[in-house]
Amino acid sequence: MTPIEFLQGLSEMQIIGGLTLLTLLLGGIIMAVGIIIAKIAKLIFYKYYAPTLPQDTAKNLSKLIYFGIIIIAFLAFTSTTGLDLSGFLVAGGIFAVVIGFATQSVVSNLISGIFLMIEKPAKHGDTLEIPDMGISGTLLDIGTFSSRLRKFDGTVIRIPNEKFFTANIRSLTSSTVRRAEAMVGIAYKDDIESAILAIKNEIAATMPYILRVPEPEFRVEELGDSSVNIQVLVWHPRDDWSQAQPILLTTIKRALDNSGIEIPFPQRVIWDAKD
Amino acid sequence: MSKDNVESDYSKYGEYVVSDHLELTLPKTIIKIDRIGEHVFSYFRQDTEGKIIEKMIPATSNELKIELAPIRPLNHPARRTGYVFLKFDKEIYLSEGDAASIFVHCPIEIGIFLINGTHRESLDWVTCNPLNSRFGLYGSPDTGTLCKYAEVTLATDLNDSISYVEGVMKILIENTLNTGQTVSKVIFPITDNTIYYEGDKSIVDGIKVTMKKRAVVSIADVETQPLETDWISSPTWEDSTANTSMEMGLE
Repeated sequence: MTPIEFLQGLSEMQIIGGLTLLTLLLGGIIMAVGIIIAKIAKLIFYKYYAPTLPQDTAKNLSKLIYFGIIIIAFLAFTSTTGLDLSGFLVAGGIFAVVIGFATQSVVSNLISGIFLMIEKPAKHGDTLEIPDMGISGTLLDIGTFSSRLRKFDGTVIRIPNEKFFTANIRSLTSSTVRRAEAMVGIAYKDDIESAILAIKNEIAATMPYILRVPEPEFRVEELGDSSVNIQVLVWHPRDDWSQAQPILLTTIKRALDNSGIEIPFPQRVIWDAKD
Repeated sequence: MSKDNVESDYSKYGEYVVSDHLELTLPKTIIKIDRIGEHVFSYFRQDTEGKIIEKMIPATSNELKIELAPIRPLNHPARRTGYVFLKFDKEIYLSEGDAASIFVHCPIEIGIFLINGTHRESLDWVTCNPLNSRFGLYGSPDTGTLCKYAEVTLATDLNDSISYVEGVMKILIENTLNTGQTVSKVIFPITDNTIYYEGDKSIVDGIKVTMKKRAVVSIADVETQPLETDWISSPTWEDSTANTSMEMGLE
């Protein structure tokens, strides 16, 4: 049997309607070529264009290119095979309603993902806090259905895009500088100005990441039950939180200790009625 | 640190050849390089804050050439910016249409470079005045520019540098506005300014500050003015792709 006779044999073997084994074979070849082209296009995109784009955009564009080519190949496949999909449309209408209800959250995540990509509330590498969920970490990526954050303990958390899109997002790295705060109480007998000067000098001498401009700010916040409470506000470069906030209280205490200024314990004066 | 308390027996800037042992002394800083084996050297440094750095240096021969040179003040406590914010101790008043040329002290750090043919590789850096090596913000927290901040004094001339701590920079200020202006600070990208040295003295490329009107806004345009000098140009390793000019708003 010659190859031509073999192909003629295939073209005469009908499966359903006008669909023969030959058209099915041709369709299969078209789909295979389509998948190969999609993979090559994705590879070329990743190699030459993706490095110049933000990571999230590159990832989503590559998906768009890949699935776009696959869909075109599928359309070519259906037109080559002469497959009549109108029957599917009727059944598909009912099926779509069922699937619509079942995949409501999936579609919602997909749409939210698209909006996240358009609005870009955060980008890859940003440090974020999502107060509603009590999550803080570094944004790894915004995917089609979900976004991933690496928490400060090293674990990765996946957040559905719908929740991420509707949540309050606090960006910790979008400003050039950040502010660290601490509250300290000094005894009523001690001079407030002396305490502030001692803290200010100690910060200037031992905390190199604290900005000189704007300079540290001191606010007498409260005349408390046991102490005069002073709030200390200092600015630092946004990436150096660990050099400011965690050691600020230590520095303040050292400054007050060295100056002989008392940090009082809570105390109550009880008067006996007989006295 | 003042000029008076810098002793003259500190090591000078320049090239050194280490065959067995070399000890360099800078204010409150000691650097030691020793040959510890065939083609292997050890590097030890203790700085003003008591921090110790130790390194091993494999070499291609039993001699090591290094260069001690002043560098831009951008590395302590960590490299975060290419901008410098100089706050003058005295304000400078310029009448309308006036120009003035001043010399100011500009902080420096000291770099230790390995000499490999004509190429210099950064080995280490130190600052001899860490207390005046801090950050400052120009502008608002969200859109402002992070700078290395230093409070500086006026110098008399280019030879008035404070050894190992501050070089001298010439600043030309021009007021093309129709009102008098007071200048108390200058912010600029120092990545374009070369530092030159001789002995233990250093000078920095100057800048030109032009106060002018752009549309309805008054601005101060800052440009680098390269120096013409026969002093030795200092190597540097910082990224030089930063902006080449800076515009300050006038307050």
